[in-house]
Amino acid sequence: MTEDRWLVSRLDVAQPLTDLSAPADVGGIHLQLWHRELPLGQLWLPRGVFPMPPMELARAISRAIAPAVGNRIFPHGFRAPLPVTGDNPARDIPPDLDALLSVQTPISDLRSPNCLPRPHLSVIPKTTVPPLRDGCTELPSPISDLRSSNFDLRSSIVVCTRNRPEALEKNLASLASLDPPADEILVVDNDPADERTRAVVQKFPNVTWLPEPAPGLSRARNTGIRHARGEILAWTDDDTIVHPGWIGAVRSVFADPDISAMTGLVLAGALENPAQLHFERDFGGFGRGFRAFTLDAQFFEEMKTRGVPAWQAGAGANMAFRREVFATLGPFDERLGAGAAGCSEDSEYWYRLLAAGQSIRYEPRAVVWHFHRATDDGLQLQMEEYMRGHVAALLFQYQKHRHAGNLRRLFLSLPRHYWSAIRHRTAGRTLAREVRGCLRGIFYYLRNNS
Amino acid sequence: MTFTENESGVGLLIRRRGSPIGYLLREAESRVSPETLREWISQEFGPKILEEAILEELTPPVRNAAPPTLTVAICTHARADVLARCLASLAPLQSLPNFEILVVDNAPPDATIAELVSKHPGVRYTTEPRPGLDFARNRAWQEARGEWVAYLDDDTTVDAQWFEGLVEGWRENPDAAAITGLVLPGELSTRAQILFEKRGGFRRGFDTRRFGSTLPGNALHPAGAGIFGTGCNMAFRKDVLRDLGGFDEALDTGRPLPGGGDLDMFFRVIAAGHVLVYEPHCLVFHEHRKTEAALRHQYYTWGLGLMAYVGKHLRPGEPRRELFERLTRWWFRDMLRQLKDAVRGRHPLPISMVLAELWGGAVGLCGEYRRSQRRIEKIKAAHP
Repeated sequence: MTEDRWLVSRLDVAQPLTDLSAPADVGGIHLQLWHRELPLGQLWLPRGVFPMPPMELARAISRAIAPAVGNRIFPHGFRAPLPVTGDNPARDIPPDLDALLSVQTPISDLRSPNCLPRPHLSVIPKTTVPPLRDGCTELPSPISDLRSSNFDLRSSIVVCTRNRPEALEKNLASLASLDPPADEILVVDNDPADERTRAVVQKFPNVTWLPEPAPGLSRARNTGIRHARGEILAWTDDDTIVHPGWIGAVRSVFADPDISAMTGLVLAGALENPAQLHFERDFGGFGRGFRAFTLDAQFFEEMKTRGVPAWQAGAGANMAFRREVFATLGPFDERLGAGAAGCSEDSEYWYRLLAAGQSIRYEPRAVVWHFHRATDDGLQLQMEEYMRGHVAALLFQYQKHRHAGNLRRLFLSLPRHYWSAIRHRTAGRTLAREVRGCLRGIFYYLRNNS
Repeated sequence: MTFTENESGVGLLIRRRGSPIGYLLREAESRVSPETLREWISQEFGPKILEEAILEELTPPVRNAAPPTLTVAICTHARADVLARCLASLAPLQSLPNFEILVVDNAPPDATIAELVSKHPGVRYTTEPRPGLDFARNRAWQEARGEWVAYLDDDTTVDAQWFEGLVEGWRENPDAAAITGLVLPGELSTRAQILFEKRGGFRRGFDTRRFGSTLPGNALHPAGAGIFGTGCNMAFRKDVLRDLGGFDEALDTGRPLPGGGDLDMFFRVIAAGHVLVYEPHCLVFHEHRKTEAALRHQYYTWGLGLMAYVGKHLRPGEPRRELFERLTRWWFRDMLRQLKDAVRGRHPLPISMVLAELWGGAVGLCGEYRRSQRRIEKIKAAHP
């Protein structure tokens, strides 16, 4: 079915727009919008909208990228909403009208050095905000250019893989062309069935192979932590391709001493089949949007009674930590993650960090492309494991921190969510497996809570 | 900005470099300071202002062909005073090349309109003896010399940039078969007029939208024709009107069924595979009903006109019946929800007006289209 196959395409708004038409054999075009190396937004253009006049495309693009552009060039008015459900107080103040009206070339303004990453506190300081200068940021940025940035922080990339050598090879090829490069790349070969993974790793001279015979993603991640020598530890999955500027963007986030961990943007690598399409378009993929935000202690306190949506910080496919975090807060919980409860070893760590008063930054400038599960069976299994891991993580978090919000989420918000999805017929086709996953998560907790 | 004692708020049209970008309807006491005004604007329209700046910078290539020839058709019936105002607003456009204004005098009781038009050199006059707006609309495109026909209600006045908006629509969408525009209130001097705007009025937003065969996220497309625009400000390619057989004369007949003809035409244009463009820069101002009784009746006729149009497409043998069945279910469910809101006091309209629209819909669905067809057969027989 052509409807279930979409073309994933990249469009640079710095280039002149041309006519866009969809090939006959796809359901539409998923357009990822960039300004040079900066991701700004995305569009879903079904085949029916073609032929699309350039002006119409330009309008769709302006609507899609305005929030991210505004976020980069104005100090206020375009902040990313924090992942909060419910009646949280507004954290943003409107943009300054004069600045807004004086903007002539918002896209070119993105190239201004002042627009490069700036500390992005989730709380607006009560003190007056310094006046806007040159359409840009409120705090002088220590960074002028990512490529020439000269951080003292050494970075290690850890890729945990389990019997997927073909995917891994593509992933390592993209890591090999990182610019600036990482200081170290480690591949943790989890529960290897044969020598194929090792053989792939040996094709890349600067990549270290580490075996971890005991299955489990958390175990593999922890093996990586023990062997990595960098001050920053960055993870991506074996089924991704990274942007050449990925590790540079990751490092730049840690120039802010208040940030303990970061996540980045995960874009769809391909939409070749119904499973990938469903996961990205209907479920929302791993996307956290095109505006940076910071989750911090205040956010945690505000959300504690309702259940902190720590999983909203981002995905394990694109995350990095300061190494000292692991010394104080310990390794990943080996009861969680793929190969154990199913997932949520990453979000449980976000929860742990936030509970300890630390801050997590989401920076969409650090980009990886993820290739989602290609089969419906794979998707169904994935959704079930997600919910199993999620529910188990909520219970482990409650056990450890005694924050009742976790139970509220499990026994109130989740049932309400599913009930409303059934009642309003908005439930996806993975609903049954998701609910099953939730129940299995409870049993998993009961068996493993000692 | 200061208000007199009789004024309780303000309806503000916000423009950026001449183009309308937003409309603010706010209640306020005695005075609004510039600071408040600035805050309102940046809060409500900040993203829109930035979007416009981005759009300018993207500078997509636009075909610079000459605009087509245009006939502006005003169908009127015994309302010389409002027609005079409408013609006055069009006066600056009269000298344009490839441009004509045509007044269709529908079932004229006397020569008042003819006399009025004779005082405007360059405005053409024609009559349509059969009473009914869609009779007049069909007369208009049959008599028009332009390649396009723009229909204006007689109780509108055009914005100074109305024609530029239309030209913009043509240039950016050379394949468009229809262009609809924005309708804002000409005055908000009675409670009924304010109520009507608070409920959304004729506004369809300030984003240009292109409607083709698919509309992501709208399962009722293209039956939900209300989102495309409204009959008091719409333009069509004349050959498309001809190919589609013109407006349905059984809809928009004037009393007792003054509506539905525009919706039906929008639907048929898109269903035939054409593109319809909503261009808010193409702006007219409309004088809303002044009394609450008239407004209530208008909502009744909205329900009636919509469901007469739906009823037409629900007849056995119509190709998109299933779509219109869904639209019917959606509409009644939505109206009941609105009624619930009105009962709880959470709706801008009083209960009676929501009920009027709902009742109009019920009457419309119960055979109004058939009744109207029989009525126009009689009219046709009386005017051979």
